[in-house]
This record gives sequence, C-alpha cells and structure tokens, in this order.
Amino acid sequence: MLKVDNIVTRYGTIEALKGLSLEACEGEVTCLLGPNGAGKTTTLFTIAGILKAHSGSITFEKDNLTNLSAPGIVRKGVALVPENRLIFPQMSVEENLVAGAFARPRKDSPAIDADLEGIYERFPRLKERSTQPGGTLSGGEQQMLAIGRALMARPKIMMMDEPSLGLAPIIVEEIFDIIRLLNKEGVSILLVEQNARMALKVAHRVYLLEGGKVTFNGNPQEMQQDEVIQRAYLGAGSV
Amino acid sequence: MDDFWFEFVEVTQSIGDGVLFGSTYALIGIGFTLIFGAMGKLNVAYAAAAMAGAYSSLAIYILFDAPLVVIFIVSAICAAILGYLVYLTCFRFIPVHNHLAALMASVGGLFFIDEVIVHATRGSPLAFPSMFSEAYFEVGPYGIRGDLLFVFFIGLISTGVLLYVLFRTRLGLATRAVAQQDVAARLCGMSIHLTNSTTFAVAGLLGGIAGAMTAAAVGILSPVMILPLTIKGLIVTVIGGLGSIPGAIIAGLFVGGFENVVMYFRGIDERDMYVVALLFIFLVFRPNGLFGKTITRD
Repeated sequence: MLKVDNIVTRYGTIEALKGLSLEACEGEVTCLLGPNGAGKTTTLFTIAGILKAHSGSITFEKDNLTNLSAPGIVRKGVALVPENRLIFPQMSVEENLVAGAFARPRKDSPAIDADLEGIYERFPRLKERSTQPGGTLSGGEQQMLAIGRALMARPKIMMMDEPSLGLAPIIVEEIFDIIRLLNKEGVSILLVEQNARMALKVAHRVYLLEGGKVTFNGNPQEMQQDEVIQRAYLGAGSV
Repeated sequence: MDDFWFEFVEVTQSIGDGVLFGSTYALIGIGFTLIFGAMGKLNVAYAAAAMAGAYSSLAIYILFDAPLVVIFIVSAICAAILGYLVYLTCFRFIPVHNHLAALMASVGGLFFIDEVIVHATRGSPLAFPSMFSEAYFEVGPYGIRGDLLFVFFIGLISTGVLLYVLFRTRLGLATRAVAQQDVAARLCGMSIHLTNSTTFAVAGLLGGIAGAMTAAAVGILSPVMILPLTIKGLIVTVIGGLGSIPGAIIAGLFVGGFENVVMYFRGIDERDMYVVALLFIFLVFRPNGLFGKTITRD
C-alpha cells in the first residue's frame, strides 16, 4: 500500500536516512522500532512531505508521493499524528479538529460535520472540552485531539509518531486500544514507538531502524525470537 | 474654578481627538502584529507600503477625480499588492530561521519605497482630499470633528471585518494555524507560503486604508509622514504585545490619546519625544506589552 524505496534524507550535509526501504500493507499495523536518532521521525516526516527526500521514491497505492508537498500528500489519504502532538495551542478543541479537515474539498462539509460528531463519540472528553483552547488539555487529551485531528482528514493510512510519549501507563493502554480499534475499522497504521513491548502487541509487521537503515524486518514473533534484538530492545529473558 | 473647568474640557477634548485619530495607529499596529503573529518576524516596510498605497490612490484622485469610496478601495488594493511584493522580495526566499536577514531586507524595503516616493513627488507634500472636514458636532462643551469621526468609523469597520475573517473563515483558520504550529498546519494540508502571502496582502489592505485615513485626516500626503507612521506602528505593536490584535487596537487608541495630550501641554515639537519615551518605559517595565503572553500548559 505504502512503499518507501531506498530513500536518502539529509539535514544539511548530515544523512539521516541512508537508503531506507519499507512497506506498509493495507489493513495492517506496521511498526518502526529503533533507538533515538535512528531516523524514525525523519522517515515519517519524509513520507508526509515535511522533509524532502534527496533520492529514492515513495509510492502510495498508485501515486508517487516523492515530489508532492505536504498538503498534496494529506489529500492522497496519508495523515501523520506528529511526535509531541503539535496541537494548535490557542485554538479551541473544535477548531483543532476542523483544521484537520482542511485538505478536504469545501463541498464535503456535511460529511465533515458528521465526522466531527464521530470523533466526539469516540472521544467524549474532547466534546466536553470542545470550546477550551487546545493548549490547556492534559497530555492524554492532547494525544486524543491529535489523533482526532488526523482522522478528520479521513486517511487511508495513519502514521503515528510516539503516541505514548510522556503519558501515564493507564493512558498508554487507552491509546493502544484506540490504535487497535482504528485498525479494526480498516485504517492502516504506520506506528513509531519507543515502547517496544506495547507496540509488538498490536503490530503485524515490525521494522527495526538503526543509523538511518532498516536492520531487521519481520513479524513480531520473529522479532521476539531474535536473541540480539531481545537483549537490546525487549529486556533479555523476561519475555 | 472656571479656569479648572475650562482646562479639564480642553484636556479631555484633546484626548478624545487623539483617540479618534489613534484608530489609524491601531490599524497599522494590527498590520504589524498580524505579520509578526504569522511569521514571528517584523516587516518594517509595512507602513511605507501603506503610505505608497495612499499615494497610488491620490494619483487616481488627481487623474480621474474619483469619488471618496474609490480612493479608499484603490489605496487598500495597491497597499495589498505592495504588501505581497514585500513578502516576495524580503521574506519568501530568506531561510525561515534567519530573522536578522528578513529584518534587514524589510528595512531595505522601507528605504526603497521611501526613496521611490521622494523621487516621484520631488519630496514635496501633496494635498489629499479631506473628508467631512466641514462637519462638526457639538456635544455639551465638546466638539467632534467630522473627519476624525469618519476615520474612526472606517477603522472600526475594517477591524470588525478583519476579526470576522480571522475567526470565522477558512482563510482565518489557516492563518491562525500556521502562526501557532506551522508543522501541524502543513500536516493538515495548509500551504505555508500561500497562507503567509495572504496574510501580507490582508495586512496590506488594512495598511492602505490606514494610509488613506491618515492622509485624509491631515489633509496632505508627504514623504516625511512615512517614518513617524512606521515608528508609531511599531510602538503600538510593542505596547499592545507582539502578535496581539486586541493589544494593537487598545494601544493604538491609547497612543493617539497620549500624544495629543502631550501636544496640548508641551507642543508639537516635543510630542514624539514623549511617545518614544513611552516605548522605552514599556520595554523596560512590561516588555511583553499589554497582551503579550497567553498561558498554556506547555
């Protein structure tokens, strides 16, 4: 569905991605694991068009995304829930959600209103706080808002960058329930996580990134059997 | 006692006149603050582009004897186009994080526009059609000048329209989104350059109206009006709090009243000295201005 082929992304002269390839399949949760600085966020930013790939190609369904701008990529059905959520702090919760539907054509507005109600049903807390500025929400609520905002674009694939970052364990459980539910409803997911243990429970396919390259790919069972990865990422002997 | 009463009426009268004229400062301040809010950068060429808009409308007036409404519209449109050109030349291609380069480029823009105007008019002032200058309303011991009232109402309407656009339309949503979180705005499908250039053009529209208002209230257009308007616009922006529209409105009216009362007591040659001192006082004691910082969780 989403195919990243041999991309190189640079910050100035530093190569953050050194020929990275991966594929996310329709209906699946694909998970990127790896240490800090491995290039996970850079990968998502390059797919979303926030960063430009120096070489390589990105295709989604039949479209070539490589040279599209960020707005063009959202319109194709690829949305990103960014790391640290990046809520519009002075805009109300409802405006944050409406902004998520910005890429959709104006004539869609009845459907957009219906989707807004759908988000409120999914996250009743957001409805309670719909007039409150986004910046005043708690971390967990902001994460829900960020997910809701991305859903407002009606994505076919949703990329999520560290959705559990800085959240209390009980909220993390809630976020992963949401991921599972969304996936069951047919949204493909490309997930970046530090919390490998939680991620492996929802993932169908796992990629391990190190130094801007993929060093392992397989399903979660294969990953858990790999002794080296065991020791480095999952805490040896405890699984 | 009669002396005191007379003095009181005179002082409040001059404050009132100043507040009405202050609506031009408020509009210029809103323009500066809109652009600062959107990009986090000062566009110093802004007031000069606004005055250039007023000059263009004066040309239309002289050439075609155009009516009053047309003059204001032409001034607004020309200043909007100039605002967009300033964006293209001074901001669009300068790296986002190089604030100093953008500032210097817009200082260059200010002097360039100033020089062009000086050249085109040979530096001499031109008469600008004043509006409702013969109208005069008496309210008790006070008198209200028709031209100042007109200027005030235009300012009020422009601000109202701007706030509507900013808080009730798609364009306004994008403008605020880009200003608050540009990466998230792009992820939502908003184009940074399109939004920024629109912001410059909208700020230009306001500036053009303010330029024509200033000229109409004073009755002349002169290149020597450019720098004071720039400085007062910046002062209003700082006092109101960079990026705050309500701040710019209140500060604009406040500066208008303040400078007039200073003029009443100390004369016109000392007026701007005190206004600039006011800027200094704010920078030392309240550097974020009246409405500078909003509180959020992170």
